[in-house]
Amino acid sequence: MSATDPKPRLVVGIDLGTTNSLAAIRAGKGARVLRDRDGEPLIPSVVCFLPNGEMVVGRGAKDLRLQHPDRTVFSAKRLIGRAGAEVDREAALLPYRVHRGDRDLARIEVGGRDYAPEQVSAFVLQEVKATAESALGQRIDAAVITVPAWFDDAQRQATRDAAQLAGLECLRIVNEPTAAALAYGIDGSKDGTVLVYDLGGGTFDVSILRIDEGVFRVLSTSGDTHLGGDDFDQLLSERILAAAGASANDAYVLQAVRAAAEGLKIELSQKEQATLRIELQDRAPIDITIARAEFEAMIAPLVERTIACVHRAIADAKLTADDIDDVVLVGGSTRVPLVRQRLEQDLGRAPQTGVDPDLAVALGAAIQADVLAGNDKSLLLLDVIPLSLGIETLGGAMQKLILRNSTIPTSSTEEFSTAVDGQTAVVLNIFQGERELAQDCRQLGSFTLHGLPPMPAGLPRIAVHFLVDADGVLRVTATEKRTGHEASIQVVPTFGLSRDEVRRMMLDSIENAQQDYVAREAIDLRNKAQAMVTGTRKALALASLPPDQTFSVQKSARALEKLLQSGADAAALKVACDELSKLTATIADDVISSAVQRSLQEEQGSNTNPSAS
Amino acid sequence: MMGPTGLDPFTVFGVEHRLDLDMRTLERRFLQLSRECHPDLHRAAGAADCAAVLTRSAEINDSWRTLSDRWERARALIELRSPGAMDRGRTLDPEFLATALELAEEVAFADGPDLASLRQRLNATCDDVFAELARACAEDDFAAAARRLHESRYVRKALADLDARIQGGTA
Repeated sequence: MSATDPKPRLVVGIDLGTTNSLAAIRAGKGARVLRDRDGEPLIPSVVCFLPNGEMVVGRGAKDLRLQHPDRTVFSAKRLIGRAGAEVDREAALLPYRVHRGDRDLARIEVGGRDYAPEQVSAFVLQEVKATAESALGQRIDAAVITVPAWFDDAQRQATRDAAQLAGLECLRIVNEPTAAALAYGIDGSKDGTVLVYDLGGGTFDVSILRIDEGVFRVLSTSGDTHLGGDDFDQLLSERILAAAGASANDAYVLQAVRAAAEGLKIELSQKEQATLRIELQDRAPIDITIARAEFEAMIAPLVERTIACVHRAIADAKLTADDIDDVVLVGGSTRVPLVRQRLEQDLGRAPQTGVDPDLAVALGAAIQADVLAGNDKSLLLLDVIPLSLGIETLGGAMQKLILRNSTIPTSSTEEFSTAVDGQTAVVLNIFQGERELAQDCRQLGSFTLHGLPPMPAGLPRIAVHFLVDADGVLRVTATEKRTGHEASIQVVPTFGLSRDEVRRMMLDSIENAQQDYVAREAIDLRNKAQAMVTGTRKALALASLPPDQTFSVQKSARALEKLLQSGADAAALKVACDELSKLTATIADDVISSAVQRSLQEEQGSNTNPSAS
Repeated sequence: MMGPTGLDPFTVFGVEHRLDLDMRTLERRFLQLSRECHPDLHRAAGAADCAAVLTRSAEINDSWRTLSDRWERARALIELRSPGAMDRGRTLDPEFLATALELAEEVAFADGPDLASLRQRLNATCDDVFAELARACAEDDFAAAARRLHESRYVRKALADLDARIQGGTA
């Protein structure tokens, strides 16, 4: 990436969603979505690992979820970058197997193989990348990827890792509601204060932005990482299970009921009442009717939680509801009428409908991608850090150096001292979160400042400097002011995949590709050898050759056949094949070689390899 | 307390050292400086330039945060014009402290319709304190300004607690 590069760099925006994913590209004043061959923009974020080792991603995988309920992985985004009790909470709702693996991190087990959620997300990203490449007719190696605003550093890093595994350079992680606001305000006629309400499949975000002459400034952001449209589906699922008298301990039942619930939710967004016929294995079909009022009563507490977040975001921005000029809705679940009603009631204005809630995030990401590629200098996005950053002080308290909702880049310096006489080193534990005690926040990293001159406690003056760049990446420097001793680190979460793991997974995928290629080549070679043996014999019967030549050709063909029967490796087969073809080629009478060629073609034609590439 | 990093936000923005600044002018200045210095619009620079752009951009954002909040702006001004005044002004009038205590109690026990009227009253008190602070600054009496700023903390804390109670009630 250099300034003199004459050709504008092509960078796509990718909305890596809990339910669906999609890519978009900057086009003219706005952006356009990249669709697949059928014109579909949304790629379900679903991966199905078939028993034969093949993998299906996207719509094909979603179609297979009832056929392979415990092999079809969806909502991996709810697991990415998570560990410990959070994993158990999510796992209880999922029909595939999730457990805590190494370092308490979420792992997904399918057919005896273990996957990190990052890997599943990488498979989805690869599918999105392939779709985008075929829509553009061009290779893509970089992207801006969106995440919920409320994602912490571990979840963001895990998303970056997924991109790397998928062969994409992640130029920036952008918050979903921020991206949606870019798509909304890009036409330049929307200067003012906008509230983005983003109810995705697995997370809820609300952000307030001020749009001012091409500068999009985030004023505040708030949200809930454990609240989304999936939770609406979950409540409906429980209702369906109760009505059907079934229990949720079977993967097939869970997938079937989930699929039914999703359908019901969509229908109830349009009609006052919806009826569903559900057929669970070896049971008579059951009709279940749910009225919208009943559905709304079910989800009301969840919707109220989102409204409380809306008010918090307004207060954090030091505004009142009257200051909001427009409300933008993002995420499929904002089609639920109760959501729209409650927002209108509290904010005094109907949400605006000019932006497609399914596409806005990807479109906005594409706009930011174009800015970061250096193609558009008219636009600037000023984003904030979603969670406070600080260090652990004496007694386990979390001392915040950078407060959440600070515009990035940002920096802060704070002075500390030692607690023990003669102390020559201090350990700095860096945390992220809003809670008062460090143990309730998430640790991002740790480092030690060595070489302090022994002094009485409280005398050394240790300046700790935090600097957060435009990517939200934190760099911490500690300096002892009397001696000038300095130590610093770039904080990459100690959480999630380690750098080594990412490297190993990358190598694995390259190695696997190599293995796959070798295996494929061996199969091709065997087929070719078989065809040569049969073809040569047929040709020999047709041509009349001197006995000694007939003999040497026959001998060579027999040797090749024996190798095939003994299951010899590719290298030995190749030597024998080469020898045979040399013999047949040197035979003076080209009748035979042409006869060999002809029958070879016939043989290979009837022997095409059935496995897909 | 967020420690000052030796940064003079007024100088970063190229404005006079005074409390009553036109906010819209300041905001436009912020947007203009951001365009000039944000790393996203200056990505091609070399490593040394990159670090400089990053530091400058952080200075602009941090200065804006100080200048756009009236209390933070006052604190920065007092520290610049009379270094140490904030530390010296820490001892508060016992009479004021008694009033502050009453206020905190009122917030803790207020209920129902009282909440809204109390909020209004606290907001008005904040405005009054700020007006006195601004007057002191205009008269270059930074010792008095520092005392007013310390006092304002109690009123602002009471207001924040009240808002938390109101929010907690609706959530």
